Amino acid sequence: MKSRSEALVAYWMLAPALLALGIFRIYPIAVTCWGSLCTESFVHAGKQIFVGLANYLDLFKDPIFWKSVWVTIKLNIVINPLQVCLALLLAVMANQRFRGIGFYRLLFFVPIGVSLPIACIVWRIMLDPNNGLIDSILALGKIPAQPFLINQDQALWCIVAIATWKGASFWMIFLWAGLQDVPREVQEAAKIDGATQIQRFLRITLPLIKRPLLFVLVTDTAVNFLLFVPMFLLTRGGPAYSTNVLMYEAYKSGFTYGEMGRALTIVMVLLALVMVAVVAQFSLFQREKS
Amino acid sequence: MKSFLTVALIHLLYCAIGFLFLLPLWWALASSLRPLNDIFKYTSPFSWRALIPDRFTLDAYRNIFFEKGFGSAIFNSLFVAIATVLVGLAVNSLAGFAFAILRFPGRNALFGITVLTFLVPFEAISIPLYTVVRSLGWLDTYLALIVPGVANGIVIFLFRQFFAQVPRELVDAAKIDGASWLTIFLRIYLPLSKPVIVSAALLIFLFQWESFLWPLIATRSEGLRVIQVALAGFEQRYQTLWNELFAAASLAALIPLLILLPLQRFYVQGVTAGGFK
Repeated sequence: MKSRSEALVAYWMLAPALLALGIFRIYPIAVTCWGSLCTESFVHAGKQIFVGLANYLDLFKDPIFWKSVWVTIKLNIVINPLQVCLALLLAVMANQRFRGIGFYRLLFFVPIGVSLPIACIVWRIMLDPNNGLIDSILALGKIPAQPFLINQDQALWCIVAIATWKGASFWMIFLWAGLQDVPREVQEAAKIDGATQIQRFLRITLPLIKRPLLFVLVTDTAVNFLLFVPMFLLTRGGPAYSTNVLMYEAYKSGFTYGEMGRALTIVMVLLALVMVAVVAQFSLFQREKS
Repeated sequence: MKSFLTVALIHLLYCAIGFLFLLPLWWALASSLRPLNDIFKYTSPFSWRALIPDRFTLDAYRNIFFEKGFGSAIFNSLFVAIATVLVGLAVNSLAGFAFAILRFPGRNALFGITVLTFLVPFEAISIPLYTVVRSLGWLDTYLALIVPGVANGIVIFLFRQFFAQVPRELVDAAKIDGASWLTIFLRIYLPLSKPVIVSAALLIFLFQWESFLWPLIATRSEGLRVIQVALAGFEQRYQTLWNELFAAASLAALIPLLILLPLQRFYVQGVTAGGFK
């Protein structure tokens, strides 16, 4: 009797959260699955017609789609390890103790307050090939002006740099929090045993922060596969589709061309890609444990 | 112990990274305080004057508030973010408590699903979410902006991990005194969880303050524009009003920073207490 009332209380307490997650997170995923199998009727606006796998078959025949897949994968192979490594480096730096560290920690926190849209707008003006700040700083070192965002070989890497400027700082927090849990005594003991700083980091610290590290890697990967803001604000997928990631292609299909079926199909492909990446990361971490 | 040179090199490294982080915001802020004609005056060739304005003016700020209606965008963002934080803290902490303390059938499965939801970023579901919110009749309302952001898997996770560490004896003692579960939650657990509340509140606040794609597709009318969307629209419409653009960007960055920086210590503590161990 007592445990039944406990369960009842639990369900009441969970109801608002689970209901909201169900309606605004899980149900939309179901809509995505279903919508990717449908097309909107020409005759009755808003009416869905079941077309089976037709959206997928059309998509797989489309060279623009494959180009987008490649851009998305290329972006993620670079940006995820980069952001996690830099975040770890920053976390280690923030975790040091010396006079003046408080001031540096404040500086490390600045990009967290600067949203990605703002970062994009300000960086765009700084990267302007005509009179941008970065080109004039490069000129101090006699480096010729770069085209940056308007060049198809540089645009994607500029986006990587801007997103990393913001992301490294954000993910630092979680790794720093993990580092604070590493007992200082263990470090001291290893120091007495004559382990070098790098040995101590690799053998003691890194294994102890495996969980926050995996958390950051997985969440960051999910976020970056769906990176959208820089492409929307800076390049519109160009130049020459060089930054046309799947999420931007999905947005264009759904809201510019009104092809919801195609948009949802692309989102399904994206979710599948994220799942593959996440499973790969989990198994990589698992294997290292044994 | 360390030589003077090592210390100097360490400070140089920290300064270089700090400079890189501060540069865009600093430049935006400095440029927002200049007259429009001065913005690119010192950039090519580059001089230190590019980073410190010589002629101050607040014209840009006056214009964005009184002519471009930026005040309402800031109000909308603050309103949406604060409302989501308040409701979100209540909903998610309650769920975290249930997952951590109470025993009921399906606990592990439900918690697993909750954790999985934060692997699906908002961007992925914003297109189908549009159809869901449309059928609720919420398009172009505050509800569309607030309600979908309330329940948050990562915040529930933070609360659960923290509550699970609190010694169980506290609950048993209160139970003997005849306290209800809600009383135990409100009187014992919630007051203990200050660092988690701070970091959860900041996570939700930043999530809403920064959201861009969802407000872009969920609202149409000018009156409901949030700051990020207003900023992007401003950039596209008045591309060469650099000083006003910088003023708007600076404000949009400084507001969360002024909230975040004083709470920085609690923020990190909360994430630690949330148990990423």
